[in-house]
Amino acid sequence: MKDNPYYTIAFMLVVSAVFALMLSLTNEIYLPRIEANELLEDRRAVLYVFELDTEGEAEAVLDRFEEHVEEQTIADIQLYVHLDGEEVLAYAIPISGSGVWGTMNGYVGVSPDITQLTGLIFTEHSETPGLGGRIDETDFLEQFRGIDISEEVTLAYDDRLDAITGATGTSNSVLNILNNVLDEKIRELEVALNG
Amino acid sequence: MAENVRSVIARNTWKENQVLRQILGICSALAVTNLMTNSLVMGLGLMFVTALSSLTISLLRNYTPYRIRMIVMTLIIASYVILVDIFLKANLPEISKALGPYVGLIITNCIIMGRAEAFAQKNPPLLSLLDGFFAGVGYTVVLLIISFFREFLGFGTLFGYEISFVSFEPWTIMVMPPAAFFIIGVLIWISSNLFAPKGKKKP
Repeated sequence: MKDNPYYTIAFMLVVSAVFALMLSLTNEIYLPRIEANELLEDRRAVLYVFELDTEGEAEAVLDRFEEHVEEQTIADIQLYVHLDGEEVLAYAIPISGSGVWGTMNGYVGVSPDITQLTGLIFTEHSETPGLGGRIDETDFLEQFRGIDISEEVTLAYDDRLDAITGATGTSNSVLNILNNVLDEKIRELEVALNG
Repeated sequence: MAENVRSVIARNTWKENQVLRQILGICSALAVTNLMTNSLVMGLGLMFVTALSSLTISLLRNYTPYRIRMIVMTLIIASYVILVDIFLKANLPEISKALGPYVGLIITNCIIMGRAEAFAQKNPPLLSLLDGFFAGVGYTVVLLIISFFREFLGFGTLFGYEISFVSFEPWTIMVMPPAAFFIIGVLIWISSNLFAPKGKKKP
């Protein structure tokens, strides 16, 4: 009976259906939680580029975000603004581009007069753990705070910036993504802000 | 020729350790062993997947048409891996992020397919469950040994806790992938000396 082709097809269908059902159910149950985690991660990232405290329970982090940050659209760019009352302290611009293994997403922070970077962070990437994945480490990310962008600059690894290692394409991907954003979105933002 | 429980345990944990004696699952053993926490979670994930996929494959072994058995195995293994991935994302987001693509890659870990083909395919369910589970234990033990040295020497921490009674300059190389090669090489050397069949002249 096991060699009967109809049996084979039926067996495969039944097995697939059972496992697909099991997975969909699990996904359904956990989805709200996964989405909440992702939102929290995103909020933390924005707080990080604004040099705000990212520690604490989920609730505290979300409250802090509500208190200091506002979502705005300037020059067709969706961004987050760090506000102190009416005064703008910084902008966080979403960045995206291709890494070595997949798309990398994150935020870059710029000062309100567009002269300095306030921070950089990646929220999503699939770089090699332990190699390219080390772009998540604060030693690397902290270097981007206060980088001067007041003149037309193309960032490179020089005496201001150290790559995680030259042995991964991730290092170049990070710069490419940043330079693209500097060339386009940040210039557009500058134009929009200065009239 | 059913094996007894004890020999299944001893074989999988030491004598025919999947990583050191069969040289399977090396890729992830090199990649996720820079921190002990990551290694432990990866090991637990693999134990869960090998144990349950071996059980399921063994339960279905008399009904599975021989020609499509590999497809069925892959389907079962992939389902359990996705389950682990969803669970980590929901409950341990930090670790899920640190392990990145390696959780998904458990699917291609040769240990699981190896146990399915070599054991679960022709042994009763409970014994297969044990076999899969202890193959995972063997893998986890090796990962923990490697990551012990890498985390201790590379960061001066264990499971993320600062080890304060000794202080030394951390060895950056231990954090980087090559260190895992050195350590795993030494472990394979030791285990070959202990467990390789005696009397045969090695090339």
